[in-house]
Amino acid sequence: MELIDRWRAGDGRAATRLVGRHSQALARFAASAGERDGIEELVQDTFVRAFASLDSFRGASTLRTWLFTIERRLMLDRRRAERRSRETVPVEESDHVSEYGALDGLIAEEAQERVRKSLDALSPTQREVFTLRVQQGLSYKEIAEVVGSTEGAARVHYHNAIKTVKEFLRDE
Amino acid sequence: MNKCTDSDIQEMLPDLLHRALVDSERLRVEAHLAACESCQEDLDVLRTVKSAAVFAPVIDVNRVVRQIPPYRAIVPAIERPARTRVVSWLVAASLALVVLGGGSVLLQSPGSPTSNSPRNQQLPNGLAQAPGTIKLTSGEPVAGSRTVVQQSIAPHPHALALAADADGLSDGGLVQLMNDMDGFDALPGSEPDPVISVDSGDSL
Repeated sequence: MELIDRWRAGDGRAATRLVGRHSQALARFAASAGERDGIEELVQDTFVRAFASLDSFRGASTLRTWLFTIERRLMLDRRRAERRSRETVPVEESDHVSEYGALDGLIAEEAQERVRKSLDALSPTQREVFTLRVQQGLSYKEIAEVVGSTEGAARVHYHNAIKTVKEFLRDE
Repeated sequence: MNKCTDSDIQEMLPDLLHRALVDSERLRVEAHLAACESCQEDLDVLRTVKSAAVFAPVIDVNRVVRQIPPYRAIVPAIERPARTRVVSWLVAASLALVVLGGGSVLLQSPGSPTSNSPRNQQLPNGLAQAPGTIKLTSGEPVAGSRTVVQQSIAPHPHALALAADADGLSDGGLVQLMNDMDGFDALPGSEPDPVISVDSGDSL
């Protein structure tokens, strides 16, 4: 909150520190949630939207949790828009090639590839809960705020997710 | 390998990875891990998943900051006292009533252009005029008059007499008119008898 107050008072360096503190976590969350292209733009849009509505942030949750919530909404909006465009524009063969090509470049290690596949085996909500818990270290209360659910539901999603991931990695 | 049933420990494994446990909890989890293969396997899976999240692109912080607009405090809107829709309609209806009523009174007044009464008619020698009534104080015909009503009505002290043009009255006529006005009662002296039936044009 101190950095937020400083930014409100006109200190531009406070914004730089806030972005530097949270940008990589937002990028990792987007990547593990299945985003492949435009992650940097997504993170940028998240910060622009967050700073524009910073007065509505009361500090009931951590700033990072609040940022995750905004980013998740942007991801959902983006996926809806992509779904609509797919319904109207036929997908070209080259789109698949370029998507998998970029992904191959990003995932070099075999272990990472296995993890990615195991995460793909989860439902979208399970994947969000699992990555927020394991990769970001959020509590169930914070996860529930981000995904718009309850702590109990987040707990169930996590346990189902780790069971699926464990079985997938064991069978590989 | 048996599945561990200690859900408390399983819940704390991600926190152990992120070093978010207090010392007492950390020691308890580490002691459990030393004897539980199932939880060790879970922790390995979590470590793998956590370390695999390295393919996210590096974000250019300065580029992001440049896109952030300067801070603008939200000024709360000034609250006006709530005026209900019903009150607004009542005010509008009252105004419309005043305008329509005033307009109709003006249209029906004797001086109105649309009135049937002759306008600025010169009635000399104490010719008094009231709505619907023309009173002649002398029976002499008026030369040059455009419209002369041939109805002669006897002077009545209670008749409302208005001079169309005071300049046309003689001194005697003016004195007579003022005497009539002094004797005029605004209210009737006694309550009129109720009208039961209308038999002739004299009664209401």
